[in-house]
Amino acid sequence: MRPFGKHTDVRISILGMGGHHLGDAKDEPTAVALVREAVDGGITFFDNCWEYHRGKSEVLLGKGLKGHRASVFLMTKVCTHGRDGSLAMQMLEESLNRLQTDHLDLWQAHGVGFENDPGLFMRPGGAAEAMLKAKEQGKVRFLGFTGHKDPAIHLSMLNTDFPFDAVQMPLNAFDATFHSFQTQVLPELNRRGIAALGMKPMSGHGEPIQNGAVTAEEALRYAMSLPVATTITGMEKPDILRQNLRIAQNFQAMVASEMRALEDRVKDVAADGHFELYKVSLKFDNPEARMAHGFPLDMESEEVQEMVAAVQNTGHPYPEIPK
Amino acid sequence: MGNDSFAASMPSGANDKFTRREFVRGAAAFTASAIAGGDAIVAAKKNATAQVVTPSSDPQVPKRLLGKTGAEVSALGVGGYHLGSTKDQQEANQLVAKALDAGITFFDNAWDYHQGLSEERLGTALQGKRDQAFVMTKVCTHGRGKDVAMQMLEQSLRRLQTDHLDLWQIHEVIYYNDPDLIFRPGGAAEALLEAKKQGKVRFIGFTGHKDPAIHLRMLAHDFPFDTVQMPLNAFDATFRSFETQVVPEANKRGIAVLGMKSLGGSGEMVRHGAITAQEGLQYAMSLPVATTISGMDSIGVLEQNLEVARGFQPMSAADMQALRDRVRIYAADGRYELFKTSKKYDGDVGREQHHYPTPQKLPA
Repeated sequence: MRPFGKHTDVRISILGMGGHHLGDAKDEPTAVALVREAVDGGITFFDNCWEYHRGKSEVLLGKGLKGHRASVFLMTKVCTHGRDGSLAMQMLEESLNRLQTDHLDLWQAHGVGFENDPGLFMRPGGAAEAMLKAKEQGKVRFLGFTGHKDPAIHLSMLNTDFPFDAVQMPLNAFDATFHSFQTQVLPELNRRGIAALGMKPMSGHGEPIQNGAVTAEEALRYAMSLPVATTITGMEKPDILRQNLRIAQNFQAMVASEMRALEDRVKDVAADGHFELYKVSLKFDNPEARMAHGFPLDMESEEVQEMVAAVQNTGHPYPEIPK
Repeated sequence: MGNDSFAASMPSGANDKFTRREFVRGAAAFTASAIAGGDAIVAAKKNATAQVVTPSSDPQVPKRLLGKTGAEVSALGVGGYHLGSTKDQQEANQLVAKALDAGITFFDNAWDYHQGLSEERLGTALQGKRDQAFVMTKVCTHGRGKDVAMQMLEQSLRRLQTDHLDLWQIHEVIYYNDPDLIFRPGGAAEALLEAKKQGKVRFIGFTGHKDPAIHLRMLAHDFPFDTVQMPLNAFDATFRSFETQVVPEANKRGIAVLGMKSLGGSGEMVRHGAITAQEGLQYAMSLPVATTISGMDSIGVLEQNLEVARGFQPMSAADMQALRDRVRIYAADGRYELFKTSKKYDGDVGREQHHYPTPQKLPA
């Protein structure tokens, strides 16, 4: 357990359960069992998002946490993607309903990844106003934002001086030397007492592990050894959950020299970003976010075809993928 | 905002039969279509070829100082990749001759453009005119050492039919470990110094289209670079920006800035109506740069560029800001500057030398 940023009276588990992968579990009983086993294993931090699997992830988590709500720290994300605060409030009610609770511990603006997002978030009538209102109403305890794209965009969100309690970002050994959140954003969060939430310790879908560049244990231990409040990772199968619980339960932080050695070892394969495509490829722009921004889904683009094929988290119809 | 604007923006994607393969192989055609538009291109090309004689009263393309080197270059440069896309040597000859007549002195090239054809075309086109031109080419070591670089230099000089280059640059510095590879003992940086000492090149620099942070890391080595080349356009101003991050640093050090991709490299931003070709070039040339390198694969495209570049007057600061603000919404997701993000625009040889999977093997 670690303190939640400057709110040192609030403590959260060093390993957090990712909400998107929960929707990838093979069926509902499996998902519910995964959540219960996570709680029993000492995980208190649960991630989710209004648009994951079109709401299925929140519904599954709500079912899994039945009877355990009071003992966990529940986060979900709002998916306005630049749209109005009134839409954010509607999404909040839907999330609370699906999660079977009357309040969230943390509510974050999802997928801040475009250069104009900070301006859209802060504009009069934008999502920032909704967040403050939700907090005032007691429906959420803490506020934050998340994004996987660009450290510079995270920094410009921070420069709005909105009272964020938490910020989520990709943190792993590859990030250390490529377009780095660790070197550019993490120190600023630590300075401000904002809780840093790491994600993608295995680079999203474990590509560098399958490829042999790092082991799962190295990857997770590295991410958890950074100055973060928690590390969120997706676990859609019992064996993955058990593996991660074992690593977290026996966790010993890497010493600085061990961390440097791992960074150096992966530096050359990290240098083009192919293990961190979420920072560069359009493929990882959620179509919902692009549509909300009025950015085109150019179906001639291979990245866009992959994006549309890869995600299933919008209520909008997608264009046909050309064969 | 919202679903209305989404609906309105969809057709632009649907109408464009533009793939990145076309971008790589035939970007020139798009630059042309961007300017002339649709079916008019062919006619425009024919007309342009017919009227190669410029009235002598036309103002010349102005010259600018090349940083602190004391040399002067034309404010518009002819891109070497597209010169290799001209239909034959004769067209390349005409294009180069016409460019020289208009006051263009800066000629870009690279060792690996069209497997050497671009350098050969320029070399032949400059026969007897070498003294009028400022010839640049790039070395494509992609992390390999000094010896490879020196061999490439000899090949470039031979193809360009000259005994020296005015400027020799390291090509495609786009990976986070490139500065380490270039500055390692026996790396390409040593070749730049050696070639300069031997009098085979007058000035040295580097180029890359990927990430301002990588350019800054190259500059942080305090190596005596004379020039640095980078993408500069109105979209870059608000997306992973070389203009705001690298140009001031280069200016401070007296290193000449060479702009490229004034229309995003493909001209797609023009075809989609986000900006006109004239605005794009005008904006890029108004920045504190020594030259703006533009791909021109036909006399028609050269003519269009000359309309902006002859007797060039920079845009006012207010006009530049208004243009940045206007295109900001199109710039914010980087879709017109995919060379900064997607792997699709990385050269295969460079990826191979770095032991990276080819773009085809990546999940987009």
